[in-house]
Amino acid sequence: MEYKVKIDAFEGPLDLLLHLLKEAKVDIYEIKISEITQQYLDYIHAMEQLQLEIASEYLVMAATLIEIKSKSLLPKQLVEIEEEYEEDTRETLIQKLINYRQYKEVTKNLRELEEERGQFYTKPPIDFSPYIESTIKLPEQTLQVEQLILAFEQLMRRHRLNQPLKTRIVSQTISVDDRMATLSKQLKYKKRMAFSRLFDRFDKEYIVITFLALLELVKGKEFIMIQENYDEDIYISSLEGDDIV
Amino acid sequence: MTLFKEEQVGVLEGLLFAVGNEGINLEQIVYALEIKEDVTLALINELKSRYKKESSGLDIIEVAGVYKMTTKKDHAMYLKRLIENPNQRGLSNATLEVLAIIAYRQPITRHEIENIRGASSDSIVRKLLTFSLIEEAGRLEGPGRPILFKTTTDFLDYFGIQTLEELPELPFVPEDFILDEESDLFKLPNEA
Repeated sequence: MEYKVKIDAFEGPLDLLLHLLKEAKVDIYEIKISEITQQYLDYIHAMEQLQLEIASEYLVMAATLIEIKSKSLLPKQLVEIEEEYEEDTRETLIQKLINYRQYKEVTKNLRELEEERGQFYTKPPIDFSPYIESTIKLPEQTLQVEQLILAFEQLMRRHRLNQPLKTRIVSQTISVDDRMATLSKQLKYKKRMAFSRLFDRFDKEYIVITFLALLELVKGKEFIMIQENYDEDIYISSLEGDDIV
Repeated sequence: MTLFKEEQVGVLEGLLFAVGNEGINLEQIVYALEIKEDVTLALINELKSRYKKESSGLDIIEVAGVYKMTTKKDHAMYLKRLIENPNQRGLSNATLEVLAIIAYRQPITRHEIENIRGASSDSIVRKLLTFSLIEEAGRLEGPGRPILFKTTTDFLDYFGIQTLEELPELPFVPEDFILDEESDLFKLPNEA
């Protein structure tokens, strides 16, 4: 007996079994395990001779078939319990085949739907992002504490990105008072400074001290913080600046 | 602001053009045009009937709950000439088979799929995930908590249907032969 072996023609052992049943014109419900086992094994041998790699699931199925077949060959009166088992395995196999065939058959219908839908072409949607306004005007020209936090977070993020892989730790203690003195001197001289420029050193302690110093200065009503736009920098300016310069 | 009907049809056409293959649902059109639902439906029908004329190359389809502007089905053969490799056969048989099992049995684990097919399906499931025809649907409460899969709205669109109810019916199977779910070793008995 000769078999035409098609590589990759089957989706698995169940598919192969269905194919063999169809060729033998046997109804699934009338499946004779001994016959189908022989055909199945012939097929596997043919694949072996062609030196095709046989997936393990095909061998598992072969083992199952042989098991069912051998059980059915045992004398009946001796193995009443075994017979029940044999029926079970056979029935499960039939159920599996029928169940699998359902999906295999409905695949044809899905293919039709796929082809039908494939006749309609669409295009991607318009990209509206260039039309979205990117700057949001503040409702009032007052500075909220949230904005200050946001600016600080942005600064820290930029700092993280700029950070070298190795850092040398130099401990140098500065006080809030020292920092306040330096800042107020700078601000009186420059009149206006950007928030992001105040942090000329990037260590946590320095940033915290500077931030505290800044809050103290603003609290003392000598300085004011202004932000024109939501995403713009915050500026610190001296209230007495005009008198000095 | 109320527009005359002619203008409304024009606006609708523009909306459909803008949203492209993402589609637009009825509520969105109602919102954009500030008109009632029944009026909107009448507008859609009006535009559809205009597109039916031979002088138009466009059409409107309804898939997965949205309206989409498409080219005409009858013109597909001409449009295919623009495609460099027009051997688009769609999904492979094996892929379609796995997709069918997921569609009718969702949510389903990979193990259950493999149990039905009697063959490993890992790479196919992954392929379907990247095509976004299926997606994860949580995990099965059981040993190993395996991932469950279900179909997506892209799946509905791919087969040109509105809902899962529109899927073709599975072939009839006598009750005695319906596979007992409990026979699956890895499936826990229903606790509920």
